[in-house]
Amino acid sequence: MKEELFVSGRNIPNIDPYLNIWHWQIPLYLFLGGLAAGILFFAGFFVVRGKEKRMPATVKWAPIIAPFLLIIGLGALFWDLKHKLYFWQLYTTIRLTSPMGWGAWTLMIITPISIIWVASYMKEIFPRWDWKFKILNQLEAFVIKYRVPLAWIMMIYSVILGVYTGILLSAFNARPLWNTSILGPLFLVSGFSTGLATIIWISNDAKERKILSRIDLVFIVVELFLIIHLFMGFLAGSEVSIEAARLFLGGPFTVSFWVFVVVLGLIFPAVLETLELWGFHVPKWLPPVLILFGGLMFRFVMVEAGQITRYLY
Amino acid sequence: MIQINYSYMNTKNLQYEKPRYLNPYFGGVLLGLLVLVTVYITGRGLGASGAIKSTVVATADLITPVQAKENTYMKPFISDDHSPMYNWLVFETLGVFFGGLLSGIVFGRVKKFRIEHSPKITSRKRLIVALIGGALFGIGSQFGRGCTSGAALSGTATFALGGVIIMFTIFGTGYAIAYFFRKLWI
Repeated sequence: MKEELFVSGRNIPNIDPYLNIWHWQIPLYLFLGGLAAGILFFAGFFVVRGKEKRMPATVKWAPIIAPFLLIIGLGALFWDLKHKLYFWQLYTTIRLTSPMGWGAWTLMIITPISIIWVASYMKEIFPRWDWKFKILNQLEAFVIKYRVPLAWIMMIYSVILGVYTGILLSAFNARPLWNTSILGPLFLVSGFSTGLATIIWISNDAKERKILSRIDLVFIVVELFLIIHLFMGFLAGSEVSIEAARLFLGGPFTVSFWVFVVVLGLIFPAVLETLELWGFHVPKWLPPVLILFGGLMFRFVMVEAGQITRYLY
Repeated sequence: MIQINYSYMNTKNLQYEKPRYLNPYFGGVLLGLLVLVTVYITGRGLGASGAIKSTVVATADLITPVQAKENTYMKPFISDDHSPMYNWLVFETLGVFFGGLLSGIVFGRVKKFRIEHSPKITSRKRLIVALIGGALFGIGSQFGRGCTSGAALSGTATFALGGVIIMFTIFGTGYAIAYFFRKLWI
């Protein structure tokens, strides 16, 4: 028999020194949550501004997929749980300092809202649609009457949802890569950008696409700005933050982050969208696909890399 | 939301009716300068077949790992440290694809998806013949230790005799037998 002696104060499997608990489910959820938040925010935004007639894909068509995205995302979160049958306990405790508590409640509110939103447009999308029951028709009339207040609530909750996808990570104070307050706005902006990309892909109206492309360009620029500040913050921070940034500046995540997220997922689609706005013929699906790919890659890289950053060396 | 005034730029002129191409001789000079820049930046010449080779090795390693590790041809490219795809030629090829796409968009060559071929043959025939031709070129490039980029272009740039031989063999053979396959094109 071969014996091995292991002497260390730091060997908690899957937690210390490296966290190894979050796999594909979490980044997938972060991606789908941000994407749904983006779609719902802009649906609400153009209704509040009274432009729903001019933006049919944004207000009516794209939100159809939002409930599915949220449900698949929630499914992924549920899959990740160790004790699946106790998920409801998230709802029996209200703790304002718990990001997961905030997230659970936000999802509890925004998922039904997204379904109600789509349901209120069913008759416009399918003219022969009938709800069969009188009470459902009355409810529909009620929702249509108060659509603008509903749009406000939906916008506010989609911002919370978008920020929450970043806060979920930044609340981990033992992981230097995640423990930065830029992550909330960064994930929000990135989620909104992927949402806009999806709407642009769905839309057939040239004017609508033009408006959305311009907004998307602003979001991409802001996202690049936040990424630069993220790294400036790390490099100006303590040794553990510098060590975390090194994973991306020459370390194992350099190629996947700078090539796939920043160049192919942000800069290149931004160039293509600009060319499209100037009147060049760009394949319609190409910039959205690159942005969606970059957004998904970004979340995978952040979740993977964050788990191996640490305070003690 | 931003409002940009595009009126100073006549967008109609930006869209070309016919696809535009660079003068081939000028393109050749640019390609030569590219080799110079590549050697300056990476310390070695550029290549194209290397990326395909990496893809083949990575696929074989994924599906039949045991056989791939025993195969004399694939063995040197497989290591535990990183995937065979972690190779600069793979990224160079990605860059070639996206750069070519950008050039195509700017000069009006990107239109609807289509298969270009001689009007006398069908798309199906064109694809089958292209597949056979590509496979022959792939096999040949591995026997010749490189393709038109890796061996001919980068090789002749270093005055390598092998590079000169491979260049004259590839283009000379192509010139000699083009007559027999002319019906696929004209």
